[in-house]
Amino acid sequence: MKHVFIATLLAGSIALPAYAADYTIMAPAAPGGGWDQTARSLQTTMQQEGISKNVQVINVPGAGGTIGLAQFASQQKGNAHALIVGGYVMVGAILTNKAPVTLKDVTPIARLTGENEAIVVPASSPLKSVKDLVEALKKNPGSVSWGGGSAGGVDHITAGLIAKAAGVDPTKINYIAFSGGGEALAAILGAQVTVGISGYGEFEGQVKAGTLRLLATSGEQRIPGTDAPTLKEAGLDVAVQNWRMVAAAPGLTPEQKAAVTADVKKLATSKTWQETLKTKGWQDTYLDGDAFTTQLSKEIAATEAILKDIGLVK
Amino acid sequence: MSTFEFLLQGLLVAAQPMNLLYALIGVTLGTAVGVLPGIGPALTVALLLPVTYRLDPAGSLIMFAGIYYGGMYGGSTTSILLNTPGESSSIVTALEGNKMARAGRGGPALATAAIGSFVAGLIATFGLAFIAPVIVKLALVFGPREYFALMVLAFVTVSSAFGDSTLRGLTSLFIGLALSIIGIDQLTGQTRLAFGVPDLLDGVEVTTLAVAMFAIGETLFIAAQGNTGPDKVEAVKGSVWMNAADWARSWKPWLRGTLIGFPIGAMPAGGAEIGTFLSYATEKRLTKHPEEFGNGAIEGVAGPEAANNASAAGTLVPLLTLGLPTTATAAIMLAGFQQYGLQPGPLLFATNPQLVWGLIASLLIANFMLLVLNLPLVGLWVRLLTIPKPWLYAGILLFATLGTIGANPSVFELGMLLAFGLLGYAMRVFGYPIAPVVVGLILGPLAEQQLRRALAISQGDFTVLFTSPIAAVLLTIAALAFIVPLILRARGKGEVLSQMAAEED
Amino acid sequence: MSQEPLNTQAKERRPEWAAFGIAAILVAIAAVILLDASRLREVSGYSPVGPGTVPMAIGVILLLLAAWTVIAAIRGDFPERERQELPPVIWIVGGLAAQMLLLNIAGFSIATGVLFAATAAGFGKRRLWVSLPVGIVLCLVVWLIFAGLLQLSLPAGPIERLFQ
Repeated sequence: MKHVFIATLLAGSIALPAYAADYTIMAPAAPGGGWDQTARSLQTTMQQEGISKNVQVINVPGAGGTIGLAQFASQQKGNAHALIVGGYVMVGAILTNKAPVTLKDVTPIARLTGENEAIVVPASSPLKSVKDLVEALKKNPGSVSWGGGSAGGVDHITAGLIAKAAGVDPTKINYIAFSGGGEALAAILGAQVTVGISGYGEFEGQVKAGTLRLLATSGEQRIPGTDAPTLKEAGLDVAVQNWRMVAAAPGLTPEQKAAVTADVKKLATSKTWQETLKTKGWQDTYLDGDAFTTQLSKEIAATEAILKDIGLVK
Repeated sequence: MSTFEFLLQGLLVAAQPMNLLYALIGVTLGTAVGVLPGIGPALTVALLLPVTYRLDPAGSLIMFAGIYYGGMYGGSTTSILLNTPGESSSIVTALEGNKMARAGRGGPALATAAIGSFVAGLIATFGLAFIAPVIVKLALVFGPREYFALMVLAFVTVSSAFGDSTLRGLTSLFIGLALSIIGIDQLTGQTRLAFGVPDLLDGVEVTTLAVAMFAIGETLFIAAQGNTGPDKVEAVKGSVWMNAADWARSWKPWLRGTLIGFPIGAMPAGGAEIGTFLSYATEKRLTKHPEEFGNGAIEGVAGPEAANNASAAGTLVPLLTLGLPTTATAAIMLAGFQQYGLQPGPLLFATNPQLVWGLIASLLIANFMLLVLNLPLVGLWVRLLTIPKPWLYAGILLFATLGTIGANPSVFELGMLLAFGLLGYAMRVFGYPIAPVVVGLILGPLAEQQLRRALAISQGDFTVLFTSPIAAVLLTIAALAFIVPLILRARGKGEVLSQMAAEED
Repeated sequence: MSQEPLNTQAKERRPEWAAFGIAAILVAIAAVILLDASRLREVSGYSPVGPGTVPMAIGVILLLLAAWTVIAAIRGDFPERERQELPPVIWIVGGLAAQMLLLNIAGFSIATGVLFAATAAGFGKRRLWVSLPVGIVLCLVVWLIFAGLLQLSLPAGPIERLFQ
């Protein structure tokens, strides 16, 4: 009798589909980082806007998101209610780590946000403009130490692109990788390194307080409220944006993919999300469908090229 | 309004009955999640932050402060009672605290941890309020070379925790260092010792190693003794509370721990563990009861616990004054603050005094609530030890794996837990100390990275390592700490020292 | 720093084979580290200490420690060990392995309940028909508290799905 009961229980539960439209969002990073914040903002927005009643965030940290990506691709295959957050950093990490699972193994849904990179120096620095920086680089690239995030990440890539555009050998840049924005910022404020490079949000408070000088930003347009030129305006043909995206599981039917895309679109256009973007200082760079897919493959090719130039990928 | 008026106003708001209740709920929730081995304050705060969103700003800020302090404190209870550190900063607490619990002195150990945390939290929160700008200037002077010198000092002083055999202590340390190389080299992006396994790319998680070596290794070791020992531990010998001697031996370590933990917590690359290591080493050197170290010395609990909590407040110094999140926990708090319209940064104290002082007042109240919650529970916690061994250890393994699964639900992580548990067991069997492995894993990468950063910035000039005044002073202290015992021993005082190097495990 | 124990009575004159085994393991670890370090590209940039330098140093010191271990063993400086009983260790290791394998299939409660029962068995409580249900129910309560109330992500299996 007991066995029958247990058997029915087991059979019943296996027969049950992973029911309800409860999304699970994987943040392939430790709590606290940009992806984690994006995932948790998505969670709050989905619940408040009634897109999904019960949303769970799972953190799988490590190696620029490639560990989480690999786990996501293998475990969630065909699950139309699993999402993963990712971004530009993941593109670089997949290449430098030669990760076996790439963005081709998941279903990219949409780009959500973007942030421009900022190039700053301490207020006491003799470097006043991008021109000064380029001159110093040309004279002795080793004497200009760049403080930023992990090796091969978007900060490192931007530094390499700047050197290349300035006609300096990108393998000769003296890039000092720090763990996390806070540590890099401290090194810049303490003038331990010559130049700082990271997302503008990291530096905003210091730039406004006048302890850091903003030399340039990396977007196509200037950041409102700042008078620093874009890199292009300063004569360097570089435009970089650190974007974040959301992807769904592999093996979805076209209908399932369309349903997820519709949910994400509803989220991205909601008032809650727009307010979140404002408080977090994220730019809305929403892009979905074929336009996003094309853009993504273009970015991947460009990133691979510059990582080869810096010497991080062979 | 002056600083004091702002603080008073904040305290008045925080002391309203409803807000006190929120503080108590926050502390309880924070402790409940923070107590899980492997789940540190960062994940605790991330998980529980949404709970605070539903309240009004004052209430949510105060509950948040409670969660933070609760999460920081939670780990020490399991360290002391179950020899299972809740997070990396309470590893040191397990060394002496668990020995005390085994000897029926778990009550005083828990009490000195709770009161020490309170005292340290109180002093450090006032430090945050009044000397944050000074401390932050000091923290910014620390560049890679100064950090490298600090790590050298930590290595030298911590080696006093290595047990009775130099050979086995060093072997343990180097096993830890060997484990620390695993993963992506942060400075060049190359992988080391990962053998193509993606799960190894991020290296060995400190808490996984600590939980495995302490909790699982210990469980295996005790089980392998067979039924020779008594079925249960005598939970209370003497008083559950601290006696006069305990107080006399605790108050100085509390103050010293605070003094060490607060500035190190404020340093962008300091980390709470370093403070606890240095505090433990300091207490071991200064104690009048060296023979007790390794067998349950109360100073070895009081100091590190104070340092741990002081560094929790220290972390807020760069966060509030510079907008600089120096730990994962701080980064999550930054997100939390934005929810209250508080933009941490250099102008915060000037532009947003009400909120800042409200937060500081909340921290003081939360700190107080932590004491209110934990002291009455001491008697109850200690009774846990009276559970018969089979169920007690089954429960320990349940909680040890629960933490690891909750932090990262991967089969590979559990596999590492098992492998390191077996390593911890084997090391116990052959008389190798456990703590140096964890120390090596934590300090190794920090020392290596800072050394390489310093040398890259100087373009290969080694002299920069000694030419900064702070680095020079730190290295001199390290050299003295290394040489003086050798001289003392040479002058025939070796016996005293070998007594001091009490047995660890 | 400390000294070697001076207690000469406990010394045994015959060499310790276990110590030789430990030395061999240390040599093996050192060899793996040195091999791995030698294949790293020294793209150190401006630092003379590259990604391979520190691993090399650790590998060499491990070799020295292995040699020291052998010498200590020959001199009889190795501590005596208590006798270890193997069955309890096998029970607990088996429990951990079972939990690892069952976790994603059977969910948190069943997998951890098995670990619970196996650990209790390791300590002498071998009545699995009691300890297994107790363990599973206990783990389910834990699951309900931490996954249900506190939003921790713990794998759900057939039992947990009944409560979702």
